[in-house]
Amino acid sequence: MGFHEGFLSEIVGKTAVVTGPGGQITIGRVTDFVVTQPHDTFPKIDSLIIKAKSGHYLAPTDTLVDIEPNRVSLSAAPTQAPPPEDQALYLVEDLLDKQIVDVEGRKLVRINDIEIARTGGTLRVVAADIGLSGLLRRLGANRLPASVFDRIPRRMLSWNDVAPIDDLSPSDVRLSVSQRQLPRLHPSDLAEIITDLSTNDAARVIKHLDDETAADALEHLEPDMQKTIIEEVGTERAADIIEEMDSDDAADLLSDLPEEQQLELLSAMEPERAVELRELSEYGEDTAGGLMTTDYMWIYPHRTVAATIDKIRELAPETEFIYYLYVLDQTEKLLGVLSLRNLLLATPTDTIHNIMERDIVHVNTDTKAQDVAGTIARYDLLACPVIDKDSVMLGIVTVDDAIDAILPERLKRQLPRFTRSHKHQERAGVA
Amino acid sequence: MAVTVSRRRGFLTSALALLAIIGPGIITASADNDVGGIATYSQAGAQFGYAILWTLIPITIALVVVQEMAARMGAVTGKGLSGLIRENFGVRWTAILGLAFVSSNVFTTAAEFAGVAAASEIFHVSRFIAVPLAGLLVFFLILRANRKVTERIFLVSSALYISYVVSGLKSQPHWPDVWHGFFVPTFQTNPSYLWMVIALVGTTISPWMCFYLQAAIVEKGVRVRDYALSRIDVVFGCFVTDFMSFFMILCTAATIFVFNAAHPHLAPIAINQASDAAIALKPLAGEFAEVLFALGILNAGIFTASILPLSTAYYICEAGGFEAGVDNRFRDAPVFFTAYATVIAIGVGLVLLPGIPLLSVILVSQIVSGILLPFLLVFMLIMVNKRSLMGEHVNSLAFNIIAWATAIIVGALTLLSVYESVVPLFIKSG
Repeated sequence: MGFHEGFLSEIVGKTAVVTGPGGQITIGRVTDFVVTQPHDTFPKIDSLIIKAKSGHYLAPTDTLVDIEPNRVSLSAAPTQAPPPEDQALYLVEDLLDKQIVDVEGRKLVRINDIEIARTGGTLRVVAADIGLSGLLRRLGANRLPASVFDRIPRRMLSWNDVAPIDDLSPSDVRLSVSQRQLPRLHPSDLAEIITDLSTNDAARVIKHLDDETAADALEHLEPDMQKTIIEEVGTERAADIIEEMDSDDAADLLSDLPEEQQLELLSAMEPERAVELRELSEYGEDTAGGLMTTDYMWIYPHRTVAATIDKIRELAPETEFIYYLYVLDQTEKLLGVLSLRNLLLATPTDTIHNIMERDIVHVNTDTKAQDVAGTIARYDLLACPVIDKDSVMLGIVTVDDAIDAILPERLKRQLPRFTRSHKHQERAGVA
Repeated sequence: MAVTVSRRRGFLTSALALLAIIGPGIITASADNDVGGIATYSQAGAQFGYAILWTLIPITIALVVVQEMAARMGAVTGKGLSGLIRENFGVRWTAILGLAFVSSNVFTTAAEFAGVAAASEIFHVSRFIAVPLAGLLVFFLILRANRKVTERIFLVSSALYISYVVSGLKSQPHWPDVWHGFFVPTFQTNPSYLWMVIALVGTTISPWMCFYLQAAIVEKGVRVRDYALSRIDVVFGCFVTDFMSFFMILCTAATIFVFNAAHPHLAPIAINQASDAAIALKPLAGEFAEVLFALGILNAGIFTASILPLSTAYYICEAGGFEAGVDNRFRDAPVFFTAYATVIAIGVGLVLLPGIPLLSVILVSQIVSGILLPFLLVFMLIMVNKRSLMGEHVNSLAFNIIAWATAIIVGALTLLSVYESVVPLFIKSG
């Protein structure tokens, strides 16, 4: 299924077709969505209501093949009649345009639109759109060019903060947080939704995600919740997820766990990764050692510029941070550094040795987070290498991790996140 | 032995309960006689004399029917009208009606301030002093005072309409003719008579009063169990209002109409705005009548320059689901107070800034409001008959017949007047 997430207002009204061996048959139009367990944090959508000429039908989401830009395709024709209104929650009928009140009963806003997403193969209600863009989308503004529509401020409310007051025919919708704590949610950022879940729900949702997405989500969670989730999902799965995490975050997580559990998890991982994480987890959380990642690019000094660029092109998809290249010798001693810019502007036949910057700004594993951030800021760096007393390269601290470490929690919530869409692999070597 | 206590309320208890519940109905109905309303009634009296008085009877019935439905919906659902429209008819209708409603309200507010300007000039006070002062007064009243105080001030303002009764009596009407004109319907076939009737309906039944009344009922916390008393407030308010209208017509019917009729060789005294009536009264009914009439305009102008922006702010907040209400502090309902202040500021600005063709602007706003009303009445009727919304408080069959008839007649008349106003615009431009 290609559908990842979308808004109710964009799906309602689409033509529903059944794709079978005999070709496609148009059935009618999608008019509503049915939820039978509205108590769930992110309620599962059980079926779609399809309006045909002969009446309304219930199409279970199991039969949903995909939601495409101009139609909704099903694998079987719906035959069942929809349940009476008092036995199911209808998203359009019961929730759209309803009033949201906060814990004190104060009116906040109305639900302008509802975002649904596919997670682990099921369609779920993930967020209420309470922003101007949602309102204008209902009025057809999404037909404007994306460059215009995307400028309209969005405001989303994660569904786990929303509770229909009377589940099956709500007249108002209550928020479970007060207005001041109102979290903001980027619609496409599933990871962030999970961040706001209660521990049990988060564990359940994580189980349904693939390792990579789960790792992304886990990185954003508080240590306590991380620990609980790791326990909930079981050692095998936890090891798989941790392997996919940024090495600095993975190491932090491991160091918070009891010794016994740490060993259990590490032994379930690939040996090379386990050793690396083991080393990283020894460092204090608020030091460069704790913040650093081993996910960086390095090269030997005798390489030519052209060969290096080729190698970068090959390894870049696997590596998150490719903007600086670190020059190491056989003993992994840091000799120099050069930026992607230097490399691109250099003569292709030149060797790295000739063009690298030898005067390297660096920190040590026990440098305080505050000082790391200070160093990065002072020299306008995107990342800063961490070396030991023999100048052996251990890892890098990137600017976003450094900022993350020193910003107060409260402020962090208000800032956009640095998106991490790339895979987080082990360091890529250009030998 | 069990003692049975009478469940019937004593007279005094009932009277006290009524006092606690009255307010919204009387206030809304009084605000109906705004500056534009005063002008229309004065024109009606001046042009047609006592013979137009009978129209007040059907107009009052229509007013009661419409107001009662709005009040009932507020008491039963606990929600404002625009919120209900959004929940039942969707965002698109809410936005379309809202656009028409807000723009027409802004311009009508300007008309109220224009009334304040004209009335203050009768007292030789510059409009550049009176209008900003009035704007600040109504702004701070809503910002500072709580709902109870505001409601009392509005009630006092409603009571001040009594000045028209005094003016009317001072103009020494010929009572037998008055009663004849009031109780015996007479029709004239000339178009100007028809347009006058339409104008009277249009000025009495307007969209904003439905939104204001329902919001005021909700904010006061009137619930279903109190509704019987609230209905008294609403119906009584409509009667009192049209009682005032009756005397407004008398003022000019007994003086200007009689004078015009007695002097057919002179050019008739024309009334284009409310303050013209006040000025015309001076030579015919004395300075006292003029002063009272002008004070009445001043009172009506300031009073409705608060009610109209309130109604606008309620519409916006209910539709968007934002906290609303006079009882809030600014930071708890920022959208509400901002909307209120903005409408006032624009209203004041339109009156004071030079080069704005205010009369054309007001005419356009009346047209917009006239187009809006039939839609609103139909929406109200659909909603008030929804059992899922109103439970057992849906309209009865008899009430529905009267209500639909009212909606159709009022709707048709207002659309007719819109047509009448729009056609000349095109002819002129074409």
